Amino acid sequence: MKDTRSIIRSRFLRDRHLYLMLLPVILFYLVFKYAPMIGEMIAFKDYRLGDGIFGSQWVGFKHFESLFGSIDFWRVLRNTLVLNVYSLVFGFPVPIVLALLLNEVRKEWYKRTVQNLLYLPHFISWVVLGGIFIAILSPSTGVVNAVLQHVFGMEPIYFMADSRWWPVAYTLSGIWREAGWGTILYLAAMASIDPQLYEAAKIDGASKLRQTWHITLPGIRSTVAILLVLRMGSMLDVGLEQTLILQNQSVLDVADVISTYVYRVGLQNMNYSYTTALGLFQSLISLILVVGVNRLTRAFGERGLW
Amino acid sequence: MIIRNNNLSVRSRVGTAVNYTLLGLFSLAALYPLWYVIVSSFSSSRAITAGEVSLWPVEFNTQAYLRLFDDGQLFVAMGNTIVVTVVGTLLNMVLTTLAAYPLSRKRLKGRSLLLMFIIFTMLFTTGVIPNFILVKSLGLMDSYWSLWLPALISTYNMFVMKSFMEGLPEEIEESAAIDGAGDWRILVQIILPLCKPIMAALSLFYAVSWWNSYFNVLLYITKSTLQTLTLKLYQMILQVNQSLLNNGTGSEGVDHVMLTPEGIKAAAIVIAVTPILVMYPFLQKHFVKGVLIGSVKG
Repeated sequence: MKDTRSIIRSRFLRDRHLYLMLLPVILFYLVFKYAPMIGEMIAFKDYRLGDGIFGSQWVGFKHFESLFGSIDFWRVLRNTLVLNVYSLVFGFPVPIVLALLLNEVRKEWYKRTVQNLLYLPHFISWVVLGGIFIAILSPSTGVVNAVLQHVFGMEPIYFMADSRWWPVAYTLSGIWREAGWGTILYLAAMASIDPQLYEAAKIDGASKLRQTWHITLPGIRSTVAILLVLRMGSMLDVGLEQTLILQNQSVLDVADVISTYVYRVGLQNMNYSYTTALGLFQSLISLILVVGVNRLTRAFGERGLW
Repeated sequence: MIIRNNNLSVRSRVGTAVNYTLLGLFSLAALYPLWYVIVSSFSSSRAITAGEVSLWPVEFNTQAYLRLFDDGQLFVAMGNTIVVTVVGTLLNMVLTTLAAYPLSRKRLKGRSLLLMFIIFTMLFTTGVIPNFILVKSLGLMDSYWSLWLPALISTYNMFVMKSFMEGLPEEIEESAAIDGAGDWRILVQIILPLCKPIMAALSLFYAVSWWNSYFNVLLYITKSTLQTLTLKLYQMILQVNQSLLNNGTGSEGVDHVMLTPEGIKAAAIVIAVTPILVMYPFLQKHFVKGVLIGSVKG
């Protein structure tokens, strides 16, 4: 016993500088990651600024009951899921298609130029992109409506103010920012496919399309699987910065998602406890999704996330 | 046989042409919104309001920029953004390194416990409100520490650096240890120089996200002298957006103003995005590298 203890102590002494390095790191995680978890308990209290987190009155599940009984909750939950499903269904395949197209480009300079242009939006703030989108889609001054009006003789469409069009604008803006950037991992996976497979297929007279179908797509299957699974793990996260800049009063029925609702009702109207309950609900569901999805990946024989 | 071969080559040539054209169109689509805003910023208010601006500046002028330069607020905000970005990135890199290096040493006792302690914070993320209350009760409101401290380490970036350090050959470090070098000296003189590519990529990840973020500033910074570029833009865009909705067409009430807010807004956007565009070739190269390194083990 004494031996093991002294071994542990000597190893601790030997690595004391490593622990010293970790000290501020552990402090950071304790204060800024774990302390807010304690703060989550105000979901079960009536939080008042004056009383603080610990002094406020316990109220049990009151806030959860009123949450699940409110129309707002089901509305923001539905919007969160719907926008996520749109982004998944329409947004997920786009980088794969782009990568397949890029992979066939033999002229190196052309490929590089296209990649440079496609990656660019990823580097630009959502504030800027939101501003640009609002300007382009504006019914009075935007270029899209000018074209619709003058070329096609259509009435102007209120993309940002019409509940039917807003989700379209939202989804497109997301694709526009991330689709090009999303090709990187697929292109890397394609580059690692054995070129001999293509040679053999060519000798057999397989067309480009058949080569894509039988060699390239199977070659990136595991990349697709892992990215898809990761994406599904975040079905309750909607890009807060994206939604906040694109939404406005007249489309809140479709544009209000959990995070923007928490911001508006919680921080602007100071309904701290009520919206903390909503945030806690979101965190718990996300936790379940991530853990579940990780199980799923491993069940399919892919490498899990941990 | 010859005929079939010809058919194939014609078909593949058509396919290639279609492919190149499609990709060209997609690239233009990616570029056009930026181009449009640049063109708008140099156009007259009349032309923008009439919807005449599409490909080139109409009635070229630099009024919007002169107005913004005169006003000067945007440049104060840009200065603030630079401070937030530079200090924030430095803090990020120091803390990320201090976490990644010890955790990459397999001999470290309690390593797996520490890793679990950190991974759990990735799985269970806390809501906005508890974080807000924390920052407020620490008295950080209206100070940039409210932005820096809660974001000292991006756990994802830290793991990328850790796995990069794990991939370094151990012999180098062992021989240094035999020569009597301590952990700090090994880190600074041996490990860090080998980590240059990942350090470059990660500091750019951090820097770009500081430059672009606005939500945390919206939450924690209320003093107008401390506001950053993105927050100024957010307010401009929101204000224009709301006024557009309130008076329908958006053209009322601005008749007597020489420029529509649209032109000024476009110019502000161009100013905000210029540093990113100037740095872009450099940023892009390192970002792609960082993503690829991160995906190997991430």
